[in-house]
Amino acid sequence: MRGSGIRASTGAALLGALIVWVALLGPLIALLAHLTPGAVVSALRQPGAFQPLVVSVLASLIALAVILLLGTPLAYLLARGRLPFPRLWEVGVILPLLTPPLVIGLLLIFMVGPNTAIGVALGHLNLSASDTFLALVVAEVYEAVPYYVLGAAAAFAGVEPELEEAATLLGDGRWRTWRRVTVPLAAPGLATALAITWARAMGAFGAVLIIAYHPFGLPMQIWVTLQETGLSSALPFALVLLLVALPLPVAAYLWSARARRRL
Amino acid sequence: MLVLVADFEVARREFPVRLAVQAEAGERLAILGPSGAGKTTCLEAMAGLLPLSAGRISLEGRQLSRAAEPGSDVRAGHRGVGLLRQRPGLFPHLTVLENICYPPGASPARARQTASRMGLDGLLDVRPRGLSGGEAQRVALCRTLQTDARLLCLDEPFSSLDSALGIELLELVRRELVEVSAVLVTHQLGEAQAFADRVIVLARGQVLQVAGPRELVLRPNSARVAEMVGYRGFLRCGSQVLAIHPERVHALGRQDGAGGISARVVKVRPEGGRVDAEVEAEGEWIGRFHCRFDEAPELGSTLLFGAPDAPQFSGAEALLD
Repeated sequence: MRGSGIRASTGAALLGALIVWVALLGPLIALLAHLTPGAVVSALRQPGAFQPLVVSVLASLIALAVILLLGTPLAYLLARGRLPFPRLWEVGVILPLLTPPLVIGLLLIFMVGPNTAIGVALGHLNLSASDTFLALVVAEVYEAVPYYVLGAAAAFAGVEPELEEAATLLGDGRWRTWRRVTVPLAAPGLATALAITWARAMGAFGAVLIIAYHPFGLPMQIWVTLQETGLSSALPFALVLLLVALPLPVAAYLWSARARRRL
Repeated sequence: MLVLVADFEVARREFPVRLAVQAEAGERLAILGPSGAGKTTCLEAMAGLLPLSAGRISLEGRQLSRAAEPGSDVRAGHRGVGLLRQRPGLFPHLTVLENICYPPGASPARARQTASRMGLDGLLDVRPRGLSGGEAQRVALCRTLQTDARLLCLDEPFSSLDSALGIELLELVRRELVEVSAVLVTHQLGEAQAFADRVIVLARGQVLQVAGPRELVLRPNSARVAEMVGYRGFLRCGSQVLAIHPERVHALGRQDGAGGISARVVKVRPEGGRVDAEVEAEGEWIGRFHCRFDEAPELGSTLLFGAPDAPQFSGAEALLD
């Protein structure tokens, strides 16, 4: 009796898990079901069809580099508790995550728009953070940075400080310890954080819509095509976005899982 | 030749830790004390992980730390001081050989030789998670030896292992260290005695006694030290307190007489081919002795015991402790 009860509950749990899994993959299945190869080829043969893809990839790569450069030290200091008032820093990191992307876009206008101090300073350098490529990078950074900092902080927190101390005692300086111990041990977590950040940057839309309508990246191209010519014309670009945005996170996730098992 | 000259204080929240010690080349010291006495603090100060609040540390004539000039401290890892902790701190992403070769400038050939002497030959390509506790500590020791440390600090590195293996590994350390001084921190007297030429007894950040391992047990300089090195019975004799070590009492007989300690038998139980009896005097448990089955005392009977050379302390001092 007891054995059959356990089997029934295991079966129910499996069924529930299957329903959730199928539901999560549902949109992807629907996309593939509604697209024909001919529609994809025809959409991509239009003049300038690849321009949004190039813009999105370039902007996301730059955003990723900025986030990596500025977010990594912050994530490490957060993980090691070396910042004064750590909760305050955490709130600062989480805030862009909790704020709706459209609101982030609106607020960015007041921060980096043409009539702000930063906007004027950029103007002196012949730059603008409104409806430009730079604006697209800024919007992507704001939408994606919390994902990286929180993920990287968790990865660094998983590296035992005793191991860094051991490296120091064996003669390594800080930078060498970081390179030989901290980063290799945090690498699986960092890879996951970076992959999610890449996906968020590639798909950034809310803040982009407000401050970087031009030049079109892929999400904006999908939106504009949807508005102008309808769902069926937008779907090929949605597929391209998925094909470009997803392989890196999926590969990083698989590598990260394998690397964790080896440690 | 004096190698280590340390006379320093480290400020801590509860109490400052003070240590004054000198060691010759190849000399082994042990710092013995209860948990929280400040033993690890002493090692961390020597290894350069903690700043001094007073005093200085020098090794082979080279000044490592000086409280008056904190900016001139030689940084950890560059002082010629190795530190081996209870957790071996092996890098999980590297193999055993890569761990051993980790210190900058380590030679793979020499690393293999040391590993071979320590019985690690078959484990060089294994990752640390596949090692037993004893193997992991041997790898950590082997790795520390590649740094050419002139002073090796051992922070209870083998205390999580069973005591026989711990003693075996301490003997391995003794064999491996030629002309290298070492300081072992431990709360186990047996480990300190097995390892050290001199034992420093530390309590609440203060050195209570420095003595050879035998002298420390024979002549503790205070009731507190006596208690730490295993004395259990403290009997009043006028204004003095007599400290009794349970392994240093022997039965004199059943009759009253001068020169003995009159004690009551409180436990009698067979132990293999003999009888194990425990005795109390003046309400203090003073020890255990063994006798043949046909000589077993009766429970509750009074016997005379001898405790030769039992140390005496003034009553006031003993009560203070």
